[in-house]
Amino acid sequence: MSISEPDLKNKGAIISAKLGTKQAIIDILEKAMDKGIFDAVLIPMRVPAGDSFAYVLIKDKSLLKEAFPLPPVMSVQGGHAVSSVTRLGKGKTKIAVVMRPCEIRATIELSKLGQTNLENITLISIDCPGVLPISDFLSDPKKSIKLFDDAVQKWDDKIMRPVCQICDKSSMITGDIHIGTLGAKKDSFFIISSSQKGNDVLDKLDIALKDSIDSWEAKVKIISEEKLKKRKKNLKELKSKIGGIDNLLDAFSQCINCHNCMRVCPICYCRLCYFDSDKVKHPSEDYLQRAESKGSIRFLPDTTLFQMGRMMHMSLSCVSCGACEDACPMSIPVAQIFSMVADDTQGLFDYVSGRSLDEPLPLVTYKEEELHEVEDAND
Amino acid sequence: MKKEEEFMPKILAFLCNWCSYAGADLAGTSRLKYPPSILPIRVMCSSRVDPLFIIKAYLAGADGVLVAGCHPGDCHYDKGNYYTRRRFAMLKKIFEELGLESDRLLLSWVSASEGTKYAKVATEFTEKIKKSGDNSVKKEIFL
Repeated sequence: MSISEPDLKNKGAIISAKLGTKQAIIDILEKAMDKGIFDAVLIPMRVPAGDSFAYVLIKDKSLLKEAFPLPPVMSVQGGHAVSSVTRLGKGKTKIAVVMRPCEIRATIELSKLGQTNLENITLISIDCPGVLPISDFLSDPKKSIKLFDDAVQKWDDKIMRPVCQICDKSSMITGDIHIGTLGAKKDSFFIISSSQKGNDVLDKLDIALKDSIDSWEAKVKIISEEKLKKRKKNLKELKSKIGGIDNLLDAFSQCINCHNCMRVCPICYCRLCYFDSDKVKHPSEDYLQRAESKGSIRFLPDTTLFQMGRMMHMSLSCVSCGACEDACPMSIPVAQIFSMVADDTQGLFDYVSGRSLDEPLPLVTYKEEELHEVEDAND
Repeated sequence: MKKEEEFMPKILAFLCNWCSYAGADLAGTSRLKYPPSILPIRVMCSSRVDPLFIIKAYLAGADGVLVAGCHPGDCHYDKGNYYTRRRFAMLKKIFEELGLESDRLLLSWVSASEGTKYAKVATEFTEKIKKSGDNSVKKEIFL
């Protein structure tokens, strides 16, 4: 289940990449822009100062050479970027988006949430080795880029974020085209199509899908299974660590209510979050009353309510991208906690966020006969 | 309201306007006896209850939260209670995952004619909560 099964036959194209995968990807995108298959490309690029990466919408194809398809950090979640471009509906321009699998999955969730229109968008994913924690990266960007490159070569996730280390969906294909670097021979990679749109694009590019992708699938299977095992183990440990009201409050006790986790979350699209609204601002008498009943109350109040409310509001669509944990100034393992909760809430409905555009969001659909175990036994 | 010594829980009940609230009303007019532990809040539909309300009640120290609506298939708005059930199941899952007492939450279907059932649900739920005791969150300051 964790590895996607393209509904088309399992074939791909082996692309030779003498000048490196990055250059080969850029060449293909350039060719596609030349041929008018794409009018623009949304892709990460290193900022001029060199110490971060940002998504840019490239219209001038000469700028493509600056692109950085697999940056070492996730400074902006790609789902956010795509929805910013198409939130108000599809444009006339055909855009290719190159992102990590979790970013694509977030984009798909956003599409279901009505926050992006994918009609003219082609989603291209890449096998993801994980990303560095932003704080680690910022301490020495130059060194970090090198460390990251080495880690990618060895596909070693030790220096990646904790939530990336337990990601079993780092090669999940849910977009239109996937670039598979795993299991490929030296100086080559796989291009795999997973939709009609992807097929059409590759067809126009004269990339024939006739090569076997068995070695990619085999490698992905091994890695995904390993990671899934680690995920289950780590999340179980986490559960025992934060389980119970006392431990839970301890885990969130450092929260300063900055709501950064919500702001960077690709799924939290609400223009006005309930927790930023006047609904959570009460007259002082209310607080006094609360203080009276307990002896005192903490300010800013309701941090746990915020965290649990967010779990309720977005965990079904959570893609475990880890943006929240990167953004937390207090280093609370938010992403791991949310991953843990999301695995279970999604599991309840046999749902995997971002797996498919056709699966409805669990809370907008229902079955007449289900979940009787949560009903009162009297019924 | 409080009997000496005995712990009387505070239970918040979200009752749907069309079935469960009428059921509770019927329990009252039929002079059925049930514990004075329930604080009813009338909502137009059980699906009006954002699970956040329940979380908030729990964190504010409610000893129990009851959500009651029309029986599946009988929703005044056709399918509201099906959505309620999904949300409620999800909330329960979150409670379980975080090691919170999900037994303090109850979803029940009570129709307008089921005054006796309402009294039964209220009594049984109260007894159950009495056994669990005080909601420990009540004392927590750093929420």
